[in-house]
Amino acid sequence: MALADELFREFRSMSVSEFFRKNAAMLGYTGRIRSLTTIVHEGVTNAIDAGEECGKLPNVYIRIENLGDGGRYRITIEDNASGIPEKYIPEVFGKMLAGSKAHRNMQSRGQQGLGISGAVLFCQTSSGKPVRVISSTGEKGIIAEVMIDVEKNKGKVSKKEEFDPKGWMGTRVEMEAKGVSYNRSKYGAFNYLRLTSLANPHVQIELIEPDGTKVLFERVTEELPKPPKEVKPHPYGITADDLLRLAREKGGERKSLKTILVKELSRFSDKRVRELKEKMALILLSRKLETQIEDLDKYLSEIQDEEEKRRIKKIYSGFLSQAAKILRKEARYLNWEEADLIVNAFSRMKLLAPPTEGLSPIGEENISRTMKAVLNPEFVACVTRPPKTYRGGIPFQVEVGIAYGGQVDEEGIEVFRFANRTPLLFDRGGCAITEAVKSIDWKRYGIDPNKDKVALLVNIVSVHIPYTSTGKQAIADVPEISKEIRLAVMEVARKLMRYVKRKKREMEKEAKMKALLKYVPEVAKAMSRLTGASEEEIETELSELISKKYLSSEDFSEEEREEAIKKEEKVILISNGGGLDEGSRKEAETTRE
Amino acid sequence: MKVAEKRLRQLGNRMLQELKRGNSPYIEIPVRALGNVYFDSERRLLQLGEKSGRRYFLNLAHAKKFMQTLLVASYCLELIQKGKHASLRDVYYALKRNLPNSKEVTFQDQSESNPVIEDLEVSLNLLREELHISADRKGYLIGNIVLRERVVDETFEIDASQLGTGGWGIPSNVEEIEFLDIQADYVLVIETGAMFERLAEERFWKKNNCLMVATKGQPSRGTRRLIHRLYYEANLPVYVFTDGDPYGWYIYSVIKQGSINLAYLSEKLGTPDAKFLGVTMSDVDKYNLHGQVHKLKEGDIKRAKELKDYPWFKNEEWQREINLMLEKKIRIEQQAFSSKSLEYVAEVYLPEKIEKEDFLP
Repeated sequence: MALADELFREFRSMSVSEFFRKNAAMLGYTGRIRSLTTIVHEGVTNAIDAGEECGKLPNVYIRIENLGDGGRYRITIEDNASGIPEKYIPEVFGKMLAGSKAHRNMQSRGQQGLGISGAVLFCQTSSGKPVRVISSTGEKGIIAEVMIDVEKNKGKVSKKEEFDPKGWMGTRVEMEAKGVSYNRSKYGAFNYLRLTSLANPHVQIELIEPDGTKVLFERVTEELPKPPKEVKPHPYGITADDLLRLAREKGGERKSLKTILVKELSRFSDKRVRELKEKMALILLSRKLETQIEDLDKYLSEIQDEEEKRRIKKIYSGFLSQAAKILRKEARYLNWEEADLIVNAFSRMKLLAPPTEGLSPIGEENISRTMKAVLNPEFVACVTRPPKTYRGGIPFQVEVGIAYGGQVDEEGIEVFRFANRTPLLFDRGGCAITEAVKSIDWKRYGIDPNKDKVALLVNIVSVHIPYTSTGKQAIADVPEISKEIRLAVMEVARKLMRYVKRKKREMEKEAKMKALLKYVPEVAKAMSRLTGASEEEIETELSELISKKYLSSEDFSEEEREEAIKKEEKVILISNGGGLDEGSRKEAETTRE
Repeated sequence: MKVAEKRLRQLGNRMLQELKRGNSPYIEIPVRALGNVYFDSERRLLQLGEKSGRRYFLNLAHAKKFMQTLLVASYCLELIQKGKHASLRDVYYALKRNLPNSKEVTFQDQSESNPVIEDLEVSLNLLREELHISADRKGYLIGNIVLRERVVDETFEIDASQLGTGGWGIPSNVEEIEFLDIQADYVLVIETGAMFERLAEERFWKKNNCLMVATKGQPSRGTRRLIHRLYYEANLPVYVFTDGDPYGWYIYSVIKQGSINLAYLSEKLGTPDAKFLGVTMSDVDKYNLHGQVHKLKEGDIKRAKELKDYPWFKNEEWQREINLMLEKKIRIEQQAFSSKSLEYVAEVYLPEKIEKEDFLP
């Protein structure tokens, strides 16, 4: 107890930036290759988000230069979005947890607002150089050098000059890092960009590699994804950090915490405040008595000693008023411990599920297109499952694409994991996606999991992706999500099975035809000798006979076939039940008071 | 035009017609298996049933055999037109080759071409000899008989009484053998070559005025056809003398009513009036050969039980003989009589049997 208190005090006294400087690994800055990939990831994520937010098809340009000197690299990332107004530059690049995204509670690539400032921090601590930001909103261009004041958790602009953008709009960030490295391995920036392109068919990515090679990942759709709608955060999906930030941002003008909770959270009304207080008090009581109490009355009824009963009741009512005090206090003075307590209490309440319109999947057609473009396979099938909820209330959606044969590189089943379209390159082993794919009995689908070339794209879409850790590289094993992944993978596997079987049938047909055709010359010669008829004529007629038998059922074209399969699949989809599954639907109904 | 040539041409034309109609050409082949063979008790012959199968070119499972059958058919036509005869092995080599653009061969080995030849025979209802295909000479003939044999465009006269102990090797095709002169009362068919030579040395045929035929095991078609012709054309009774074991008894059965495999030829090869002379189980007692018997082996017992169930063995005499064999679990060879003396079989056993007509039906 005492040790934990101390640690927390230390944590709170440390600036966020300082805390993370000491914990760079949590942000993905571990290892030479991965560190560079993380920098690229943060920059590209921002670039794509910026484009989408201003309604432009994102063009992202990345240049990676090897400056020698023991792994010193310059990473330049440029977008074509609306640019950043001058006064926001130190905020965006220099302050941790400052991004505008986290508390908007909508599906987005970066979620915690740590991203690009983390990259800035990593660069400045490794190379000692500030980050150069060149940005233009159209009329005015700014060139600024940004560093982070670690102690104060603030961005500091060291040099600044204006320039005439001559119509250019967008942002260009030049970062210099040391102790990093670039290659085309699975974990390198190249693969990261390839996969980003795979999950973002509306984005054009241009990469200049250190040796000057130019790689273009082309846009395959002109259609911008449907902008995710902002929805108020749901109590189930919120973390203590989120709550703290919410209280600070919205908590001006002496607003009480209770007001903020009711106003800023979805599915949490005035009527539920009392229940929240009780749950908070119960948690505190549990801690005090060092036992887990779910139901106070039941707990008390099991105690014989009247004195003891009274004592516990007294402690409980003390905690109850402590909880009331917390909720009454001015929101901006909420501390981390209190926030944690509230979040804990939320998780013990039965609340109505949040609306699902915050989700924006890639879509079946787009996945199909992008997989064809990037992987050049022989066959592609995709499915976007209807939205579901997990942990009783957080909406999520699973989509899966399967590519087979053709130029798909590796033998076996390769899984490309994505969370909100962002590739997950690391921690493969601990990820629910990997586990779900592993649990499929591929042989049942006529696929050899060791020999066939199969690539799977799995994208989890959610306002809150349940990651296993701050590194955000693996999806936690949440039963509802794992189940959906399995269902989706099975669905595309079925489609692939149909294709593979058909292909096999056709190959067999061809083999049979060939087998028969090889007998034609001898048969024709013999028949001609027996009858005196022309050998050549008999040969032609025999060959025609064979073609007639084996080619007559071949009048399906490739597209018609796919169409037919799709129709069939839709029937299966409907019969499987769209939307909420039975369990979540019932739960949503019973919690509606 | 010979019958064989006509039927081969018909076969080809029927297939061509199917092809012109847009259908798969096929060959109709009666099924040659135990399931499609029955014993015609009136004619006392094994007969082929009605079952037949079609071998289609378009059926992948049939295609290769279809081709093989056609290859054999067209080769036979060629043989007939040239007036030449080929052995089974000749046919195999004449037709064995690589298929164009393939590693596959037309015939892997002779075990593939032999059954195809039989298929063609049944299908066309012709003897393979009529298709100018011959088998090895196997049986021998000795006795007072003068024959004329045609070899391509020459003829030879053979006096089978002037051939010493060797006798005349019976060719596989005896269709064109002419019987010029026969001075004999019956035909004695002998299973083993050794017994034939034994009796030839004793000049048994001369002393008893008969013809002797050695089958040397299971009789060849030529031998069976010759026996058939001697019975039907020269009206000579046929007595069969084999070892006293299931194998020898089945030789008798084949001579008498045909074999399962060649049931379609029974009418041409079978001699239903042939009689079984010996050796019987009763002979063991009668001639006191107890010291000369051998124990039956597992396979012999199994075979004996099979014989017992064949409808043509279902008569009192044979059932008694087979039961005796199964009871005592013994067999006896033709040459067991040598225990008495070399001449015993020629001087005592055979004359006594024939005189008393001590035969089995």
